[in-house]
Amino acid sequence: MVQTRLGDGSTIEMTEEEIKADIERGIEDAVDRAKVDPLSEDEIEKLTDIYTRPSKFVSVETGNELVLTFDEGSVKLKRLAVSIGRIPDLQIYERVFCSDTAELAHVDYSFKPVKPIVAEEQIEMEQALLSTVLPIYYGAMPNLSLYSQPDGAFPNPAELLPKGKIKEAREAYEGMMEHAIKDMVYVGSKMYEAGADGINFDTTGSAGEPDFLATLKATEKLKEKYPDISIEMGMSGEFVLGMHGDLEYDGTNLAGLYPHQQVKMAEKAGVDVFGPVVNINSSETIPWNIGRTVTMMKACAEASDIPVHANVGMGVGGVPIVETPPVDSLSRASAALAEIGKQDGL
Amino acid sequence: MVISHALASGMGGVRTAGDLVARMQMTRNMRLDEAKEYVAGKLGVDVKELTDPVIMDEVREELNIGRVQPGAGNAKGMEAKFNIAKLLDIKINSVEKFKSKTS
Amino acid sequence: MSNELFEKAADAICDADVERAEELAQIALDEGIAPLEMIEKGYTAGINEVGRLFDRGELFLPQLMGCAEAMKSATAILKEAAAEQGSESEESIKVVLGTVQGDVHDIGKGIVASILEANGIEVHDLGTDVAVEDFIETAKEVDADIIGTSALLTTTMGVSEELLKTLDEEDLRGEFKVMVGGGPVTKRWADKIGADGYAENANEAVSKIKELVD
Repeated sequence: MVQTRLGDGSTIEMTEEEIKADIERGIEDAVDRAKVDPLSEDEIEKLTDIYTRPSKFVSVETGNELVLTFDEGSVKLKRLAVSIGRIPDLQIYERVFCSDTAELAHVDYSFKPVKPIVAEEQIEMEQALLSTVLPIYYGAMPNLSLYSQPDGAFPNPAELLPKGKIKEAREAYEGMMEHAIKDMVYVGSKMYEAGADGINFDTTGSAGEPDFLATLKATEKLKEKYPDISIEMGMSGEFVLGMHGDLEYDGTNLAGLYPHQQVKMAEKAGVDVFGPVVNINSSETIPWNIGRTVTMMKACAEASDIPVHANVGMGVGGVPIVETPPVDSLSRASAALAEIGKQDGL
Repeated sequence: MVISHALASGMGGVRTAGDLVARMQMTRNMRLDEAKEYVAGKLGVDVKELTDPVIMDEVREELNIGRVQPGAGNAKGMEAKFNIAKLLDIKINSVEKFKSKTS
Repeated sequence: MSNELFEKAADAICDADVERAEELAQIALDEGIAPLEMIEKGYTAGINEVGRLFDRGELFLPQLMGCAEAMKSATAILKEAAAEQGSESEESIKVVLGTVQGDVHDIGKGIVASILEANGIEVHDLGTDVAVEDFIETAKEVDADIIGTSALLTTTMGVSEELLKTLDEEDLRGEFKVMVGGGPVTKRWADKIGADGYAENANEAVSKIKELVD
């Protein structure tokens, strides 16, 4: 028997045959939902090997390492109740954690609340850049929901839709998008002018396809304004929720797109690094979850012409939904996505 | 969690050449293998040596592009980035800003 | 013939075609098909398919609302006929739903509310940032079967635990079943705090609620 876990983190034991069968079930689910190719028999064998080894920790073979980027880095140590400023935090990411990039972020991690304090953020960025070597992103969430009531000026589509007010909900989304685009371009411009190596639009699409479209358009505008700016776009879910239902980008309806389709939209807008998400089902096993995760991630990497960095953490990318992800699951997901998922980074 | 990823699959950041490979992905959209080959070529090492901290620390010290444990007199922070921009033949935004403010 | 009608009814729901759904309900009655059988084998099968498609990103929220409207209109006709025939349909399950205090995330909770309503469950949606006492007060007012809580933040998950404690303290724990859900919530955590139910997604919530009330 081999020790593994459920998606909620609980420890379970399975035979090697059961683990392989669950991986195959997960692959089937990914193929069925996302309409992508399944993993090959060799890849299934390799994935099964990673998930049936008795070792606590699994790593890639030497030479198969990839680039690690960590979103929201500069506020994560504070969340652990470490009394630390953001610049020392970034230096720790560089010289202790040996991350390949780092990210300056505000604790209120959305573009809208950053707008009035962007001058303070610029100073912090300028200071951070003097004392660090690695590339530094400025990151925040598009967070379209902040533009509707009670936080914003527009009527709340989540309240209008259940009342059947579809036209009104769509109009609200369209207004919210215009404001969100302005904020993303404004803050993105300021932080790039402060010297940031790139802008990270994190958790894109959390309010459905209007959120995704707003971010694509903000990317276009920033690229037009600053051709050398580097844009990373991290997603929020494995498919784009259809909240509006009738929004297109480059002739494609954005609702319902899976990672391998999302990345093509991102490329078109000018995104430089794309961060796909595959969600965890907490009631299924980790082998089932990793089967579907690797299948969708590999399809995304193969479809892409830009670097793809999978999101791998609490509740995404084959990692259980727990605040303290166990190293057995995390290291296996890390290795599986690098070696079979064909990712350029995590 | 950061450390688990770093050990399981990470290139190693400034301890090796991870930051340099990341820069090629960010600025030229290079996929992983292409970015590794480009950086290895510029550093004059084999691709496999990019994640060897012994070799890479020597290389980084020689090229003065920032080390994980920078000694007295080694390039640090912005100084190291000036050298990285030249070495990789890329524009680094903060370096350009520094030049525009100082020259 | 009935099977064909059931399929057409299911299609009308999937197509969000209110007029067609109502028309088929009338045809079923004219042909002497039992109203409750028509609901179960026709319209409910349709709304289950709608839920499945939504869960896969193949159907979107505005369309889902149209499907729910078709479901409500057609089943209202059939329930009225069932009552006239003396085969009263079961009383609707009542759920009080909300996102817990301190948390303003409403998209996931709204989707759950829509899917539940589409399945004939009576939903009292309290919105977001809902205090424990408001969940309980409304549940008492409407004589709810279930209180459902949603949380997207790890920092607000604990409010559901407070709700359970308060229900215990007020000797109301036996009155209402409590179901929990949301991004960071899992069955393991639901069991740990002593909740009666947990659902991974909106579709699962429908079946769990029906199981809990049975």
